[in-house]
Amino acid sequence: MTSTTAVAERIALAPTIDLSAPVVDWGVMSTPTPAEQAPVEPAPADPRALFEEQAIPFLDQLYGAALRMTRNPADAQDLVQETFVKAYAAFGQFEQGTNLKAWLYRILTNTFINTYRKKQRDPYLNSTSDMEDWQLGTAESATATLSSRSAEAEAIDHLPDSDVKEALQSIPEDFRLAVYLADVEGFSYQEIADIMKTPVGTVMSRLHRGRRLLRGLLTDYARERGLATASVKGSKK
Amino acid sequence: MTDCGCDKARAELEEYLRNEICRTDAADIRAHLETCEGCQSELHIGIVLTQTVQRACKETAPEELRDQLLVRIRSLQSH
Repeated sequence: MTSTTAVAERIALAPTIDLSAPVVDWGVMSTPTPAEQAPVEPAPADPRALFEEQAIPFLDQLYGAALRMTRNPADAQDLVQETFVKAYAAFGQFEQGTNLKAWLYRILTNTFINTYRKKQRDPYLNSTSDMEDWQLGTAESATATLSSRSAEAEAIDHLPDSDVKEALQSIPEDFRLAVYLADVEGFSYQEIADIMKTPVGTVMSRLHRGRRLLRGLLTDYARERGLATASVKGSKK
Repeated sequence: MTDCGCDKARAELEEYLRNEICRTDAADIRAHLETCEGCQSELHIGIVLTQTVQRACKETAPEELRDQLLVRIRSLQSH
């Protein structure tokens, strides 16, 4: 019955906890009283507490990446769960002080490629190497003049998020991933190369081509929405 | 620093944008950008493109995913 008693005690104590009391700041606690502080650890010593403290804050970001990878929320949730479970199991091998975010992304990408990519419905979307430059189109040719270029930037800026996501979904997976890792997560070329297990040159090429495709699609969407023409009238510069 | 001209600037604009080129090259591209409105506007599109993708891709994981995950991790043996 001890556990029940403990729970009852906690419930009884709960209302007396002063929520307005300042959170203990471990950094400035210069005069600890050992007897009182003994049960509380200043830093989580066990791996699980450390993992929860360090890795779980990346959940939203990894979920966002998983959504772009799998292109549907159910698979994205499964992928993220699997990633965190694997990361937790391997957390002992993570070297504290190195880039945890990149480490987690490596596991996420690996898991995606090994399990989810296989069951994706559009396998042809994955093959980027056999796509020639002429198939990718040239975004620049459509935007020859200065005024049309500034209008293009403005139009892209005004597109709804749903259009941007749709455009991202429709570019080849390797390009999409490179663009996501660089533009959304701000990883360096070298970090992306490590995450995607490709040479830096490949990362650069995927990024260039991915962004060129994306820009072309977004410009098309803007034109369809009448954004491009509206901006040309408004901005003379 | 010397103005590198449009061709080099266009080719390396993205690397310039991401701070992925050496200081000398960056200085040359910067010198070119100061006088070339065309390349400036290309750079601007590049920046807008990045910001647009960033903005559109902000996601929040569902609460139930967070809860499930914590339950699952807590049920596992720690290593």
